[in-house]
Amino acid sequence: MRLGTGRRVLLYLALLLLMVIFIGPILWFILLAIKPPDVAFAQRPVLFFQPSWSAFHEIFINPGTNARQLVNSIIVAGGAVALNLPFSVPAAYAISRFTFRGRKNLMLWYLGLLMAPPVAFLIPYFIVATAVGLTGTYLAMILVLQTIVVPFSVWLLKSFFDDIPIDLEASAALDGARLPAILWHITLPLAAPGLVVTAMFAFVFAWNNAAFPLVLSDQDTATLPIGTLGYFGTAGVSWNDIGAAAVAAMLPPMLIFLIMGRYVVRGLTFGSLKG
Amino acid sequence: MSAVVLQSREYDPPLRKKKRQLLPLLLIAPSVLLLIVLVAFPLVFSLRNSFYFWNLQMSPQPMGFIGLGNYRAAVAQSDFFEALRHTLEIALLGTAIEVAAGLAIAHLLVVRLVGIDLCRALLIMPTTIAPIVTGFLFRYMYDAQGGIIPWLIRLVHLPVPPQGLLGNDQTALWAVLFADIWQWTPFCAIVLYAGLLSVPDEIVEAARIDGANGWTILGRITLPMIRKPMAFVAALRLMQIFNLFDLVLVLTRGGPGSASRTLSYNLYQQGLVDFNIGLSSASTWMIVILVNILIALFAIFAFRDIV
Repeated sequence: MRLGTGRRVLLYLALLLLMVIFIGPILWFILLAIKPPDVAFAQRPVLFFQPSWSAFHEIFINPGTNARQLVNSIIVAGGAVALNLPFSVPAAYAISRFTFRGRKNLMLWYLGLLMAPPVAFLIPYFIVATAVGLTGTYLAMILVLQTIVVPFSVWLLKSFFDDIPIDLEASAALDGARLPAILWHITLPLAAPGLVVTAMFAFVFAWNNAAFPLVLSDQDTATLPIGTLGYFGTAGVSWNDIGAAAVAAMLPPMLIFLIMGRYVVRGLTFGSLKG
Repeated sequence: MSAVVLQSREYDPPLRKKKRQLLPLLLIAPSVLLLIVLVAFPLVFSLRNSFYFWNLQMSPQPMGFIGLGNYRAAVAQSDFFEALRHTLEIALLGTAIEVAAGLAIAHLLVVRLVGIDLCRALLIMPTTIAPIVTGFLFRYMYDAQGGIIPWLIRLVHLPVPPQGLLGNDQTALWAVLFADIWQWTPFCAIVLYAGLLSVPDEIVEAARIDGANGWTILGRITLPMIRKPMAFVAALRLMQIFNLFDLVLVLTRGGPGSASRTLSYNLYQQGLVDFNIGLSSASTWMIVILVNILIALFAIFAFRDIV
């Protein structure tokens, strides 16, 4: 379709407005993290200033209040993804390759779990974790995160297994290969990119969850956002420190989404739309 | 490639018939068992405690069977229905705004403009942020003393409540919803954009030549063809706003008073702030029933054909 010049200018303006609305606030937050404290809340917003990395230095190096929390976030999200794979990979393969009764309902059940309110589970998890001495452990958080990471991974992985032509497995079977060999030598290598993509998105999912660490972590195991939340309770909140910690919490998911490129739509729709 | 090509999904690995039924079951069982333990257990735990009086500050154990007392209390207190009303309001309004705005943006994203690929890649960034971090961002921007949002509102000569947008009981809930709309409209836009790509240009062009206007094309061609992604984003957003918690926790803690309490935040307040486990368990079950009805409706109407 041909566009007139006037229309074209309007569309560019709309695109610019779109970027200002949706990217502007993120940049504004990044600016906060590198602003000198005295202009963070200037009555008239300040755009030009001498950038300072002191907030990052403060929270991650000296005294490094949030350094441990950054590591905790990586451990919890990474652990949740690692634990989930032995559960979700076989399930996704079975759903992709076999027809059996209740297959569709099983998929809907996994999806239903992704839509359940996490807070409904928080209180029982908290009480029981306290009773068995699991509060404040990585294990407790990694375990309950499976309620969202496993269903998500099953859905996304199934879409990748669906993409692998079944003929390859069938012909290997005709040549006499047994199922474990087929899986190991044919299916898994072909599914490797899908596994990586799924693990990356699942990592974002786990990394961004705040409800579970909110009640299951303690001082030593708090994840980065939960640690940052603590700033609000203290007198004389340092917005520069909050900005720096929040920016650090934002960056990994952003980078993963930028790297994922054409898989973003697939990840966002749990594999139901290939994009 | 072998001479025999099996194209159907029904291809079964070369195993004996009996094993064939067993294998998928064995592969699925671990995930299902793990999830049942993690999900059913809290539900059963809540169900039992919903019939007991139990305040965690007074005792580590349930303190006495009171039948439906907690349910009566939960319904009698105005909190539950107020929170339910807030939740339904923001879920319906938020979903409508996000899907409509997302659809409009998706139409912009399919136009060939210089730099559009980069804009598309950047547009999704708000959605990647943890909702709790989005909360930090908006708390900064809403700040009554020096936040940029009140500054912008005053710039166009509109009134800002003296307590700030988050501190005023007329605006707090909507300010929270606005942060959610900012975060998730790009999600709707990107998914619907991918849906629009599947609408063949020829059909749209043919309709245009036949004299159809933009709205007719949208209603008769585009929307029917992107039915699946529309149903997916609408159902997912409705449910996620229905469960809204992180943003409320950071931005308003349900306040001022109870002006921005959602069902999820109300539950958190009852159980983990007031430590009234019995009452919060009863609320949990009322919410679980509501959520299951909603999910069942989605499963029947929205998700049947995407599975």
